[in-house]
Amino acid sequence: MPDTNAWATSAEKTWCEGCGNFGILNALRAALVAAKLEPSQVVVVGGIGQSGKVTQYLGANFLHGLHGRALPHALGVKLANPGLKVIAVGGDGDMYGEGGNHLLHAFRRNLDIVCLVHNNGVYGLTKGQAAPTSGPGFATKNRPMGTLVPAFNPLAAGLAMGGSFIARGFAGDLKHLTRLIGDALKHKGFGFIDILQPCVTFNHVNTFAWYRERVYDLALEGHDTSDADAARARALEWPTETGDARIPTGILYRSRRAAYESCGRPGKPVVRLKYDLGVVKRALGDFE
Amino acid sequence: MNELHLIVAGQAGQGLQVISRTLGRLLVRAGYHVFVSQDVMSRIRGGHNFARVRVSTRPVAADGDKAEILIALDTKLVGKHTADLAPDAVVVTDAAGDLPEGLNAMRLPLIDLAREHGKDPVMVNAVAVGAALALVGLEPAGLEDLFRSQFASKGEDVVRRNMAAAEAGYRAVVEDVKRSCPHKLVTLGTVPVRGQSPGAERGDRVLISGAEAIALGAIAANVRVVTGYPMSPATPIVEYCFRHAQEAGLIVEQTEDEVSAANLAIGAAFAGARAMTCTAGGGFCLMNEALSLAGMTETPLVLCVGMRPGPATGFATRTAQADLLFSIYAGHGEFPRAVLTPADAGQAFHAAQDAFRIAEMYQTPVIILFDQFMADALWTVERSELRVENRQEAKGKGEMANDRSGRMNRQERQVPEGEEAYGYRRYEMSESGVSPRLLPGTPQQLVYADSDEHNEAGHITESAAMRVRMVDKRNAKTAGIRQELGAPKVEVKVEAEVEAEAETLVFCLGSSRGVVAEAVARLRDKGRKVVMVHLSHVWPFPAETVARLVEKIEKVVTVEQNYSGQLAQLLSQECGLRVAGTVRRYDGRQFTVAEVEAGLEELIGEKVD
Repeated sequence: MPDTNAWATSAEKTWCEGCGNFGILNALRAALVAAKLEPSQVVVVGGIGQSGKVTQYLGANFLHGLHGRALPHALGVKLANPGLKVIAVGGDGDMYGEGGNHLLHAFRRNLDIVCLVHNNGVYGLTKGQAAPTSGPGFATKNRPMGTLVPAFNPLAAGLAMGGSFIARGFAGDLKHLTRLIGDALKHKGFGFIDILQPCVTFNHVNTFAWYRERVYDLALEGHDTSDADAARARALEWPTETGDARIPTGILYRSRRAAYESCGRPGKPVVRLKYDLGVVKRALGDFE
Repeated sequence: MNELHLIVAGQAGQGLQVISRTLGRLLVRAGYHVFVSQDVMSRIRGGHNFARVRVSTRPVAADGDKAEILIALDTKLVGKHTADLAPDAVVVTDAAGDLPEGLNAMRLPLIDLAREHGKDPVMVNAVAVGAALALVGLEPAGLEDLFRSQFASKGEDVVRRNMAAAEAGYRAVVEDVKRSCPHKLVTLGTVPVRGQSPGAERGDRVLISGAEAIALGAIAANVRVVTGYPMSPATPIVEYCFRHAQEAGLIVEQTEDEVSAANLAIGAAFAGARAMTCTAGGGFCLMNEALSLAGMTETPLVLCVGMRPGPATGFATRTAQADLLFSIYAGHGEFPRAVLTPADAGQAFHAAQDAFRIAEMYQTPVIILFDQFMADALWTVERSELRVENRQEAKGKGEMANDRSGRMNRQERQVPEGEEAYGYRRYEMSESGVSPRLLPGTPQQLVYADSDEHNEAGHITESAAMRVRMVDKRNAKTAGIRQELGAPKVEVKVEAEVEAEAETLVFCLGSSRGVVAEAVARLRDKGRKVVMVHLSHVWPFPAETVARLVEKIEKVVTVEQNYSGQLAQLLSQECGLRVAGTVRRYDGRQFTVAEVEAGLEELIGEKVD
């Protein structure tokens, strides 16, 4: 059955019932429709894990690649054909573990793509091991006594790397997440959203209810998104075992740093350039 | 004398490559064939680097034996080369420092001349070029044009100072000869200049490195995206592309690591740009998962993989042929690929074009496997050999689509005829294994590329039946690639030689070709019935060609730069051949003609008359 132009596909969804991924998929689709983008002009690039399956279900062009490598793939697609809207999707294992180096440099590079991270604090597809974002004390089969190291803080890392759009969403607040993805799509640069996504099967700490009690919307509290110092302070807010700190959502930081232009990048997309035999002939002259 | 050999030695950072290239180009312009090899240490400053320059009236593709001229910018280095010198070789070196006894030495104030005339001690390289020209008997006048083309971007002052320094070096030799003769000078004065025969003009030949030839071949094949993480010996390919990015319309990305380099190229290729990534064995290890992904997603990808001695870091700046089997088997799972093994700059220029053509036609990865020696050496190539092939295909703007029969179709961005909206299937079954290729961005169609096992549309499947069909489809492409590559560039001459009662066949690959060819020629002069076969591609293995060649042969041997005789293993595995022996070298240095000759003689056994 052919897929249709209704941002849907024939693929059977294999996520667990009640999974936070459904909310993220729906928010992404709603944001793309609101942005009036044609599916054929959008490329979604996914990592491996439950998050990467968004590629299969969205109804846009996709490259469903390797664990951790969505950002290099997205970079390649966008550099070759800047006319395409490129969205990289991955999980916390993809973006903060296996592909952490790519993420650090993606913040620096500031290419004009959107990056969505399904952050559920646990490895789902491999059945319940700790993730880089598992909190201290989070018990798993591999570490029954709990994770021994502090969780990776993607927002603080992004700010340190000079990221130009750093935000956090919540899979349980569809309206807010849709608006956030819409803002990232409009942003000229690397639009990064860490999305809190409850895992109904393996993470019994960070549940929908746990998040609902703690998340708050930065926009409602007069946060200045151009203030890097304020953003850094917000990025460090996270509940401890004893403390009662809340979890900020929304845009932490946004700057107008120019989006990346590749070295020697020609005026139009390279996929449209005409072949010029003269280049080789002239270059050979340098070796006479 | 038909040949002359120079060694130019100095410390890292003294511009030895500038000296050997400038001298080499001037000699090529004068009509000679030149071969330059580099011996470089893995350090930034100091140490002991040298270049060998062989000048001849006939084509040369290997170092010669003893050198008649040594130019040592640092007196301490002279002692390291005494064994490389012919009797009465002229040794030019700085006036400072002690020298071994008994040398035909010409002590010149090289560094002082550089300071005085070039206004900078670094101009010692220009002084050396001038001195070398005087020694071989060429006028320095032609240098100005060369310096201008080399240093145009650095300004007229740099050109002038280089010229002044070179002229000072030239004069110093001429005056020294007048003052303290008799220096027995070996000059080219007696060597007939073939290229100056009527009709031959400057520009008939070029002096180009293997790495530059790969880069230029890729540009000729319409490459648009080049990626890499610096690693010797692949770095010069990326650097050449960086320098020409604007003019040639390239995107050149130095990524955070090799994993990113390979995957970025896959993303770009998926979007429709011809893409290439460049690395050495260690970086290629990191790219293996991406290689496998290109096979699974059926994405055209060209990988330039340079061989240096491993395992691990090994010798960073030296040569080897030990990644032959690795490149054939790299990547998990089973998928089609081609592995090309060019011998020299001329072959490298064509290998790059072949690589892109095959990658694009068969939508799969192609590896250009080269050794460090090939990449860094400077080769004299006839301009007429550097043809741009398949111009029509190259003109496809990198948006090549394949029609239903798997042929490349230049009408890019067109939906296959009769395709309903959103009906495109990226992995549609076909006899050749090649599916029609659309690019993302095509109106009313969606393109799915999937790393998971997938159905024809590109969606994940767990179907056992579909899995078998897809494995068969992908691997069916090997037959087409084999046909497209044809016989390796085994010269017609070889076939004729084999016909004429050859008894021993010598197989080799990569840059060994030049050395083995000379060794085999010497053996044939001695009456040995031996013929060389060089494999310009090793995968899919040209089993039919090899089987035909060895039909009436008594003995098969190999010459290769590794410990375990990997080419011999391949011949045995693919053709059932029993290889009688292997001449091996694995110290990171290129074979010499003499050692291959001796090694082969031993393997061939006693001459029976």
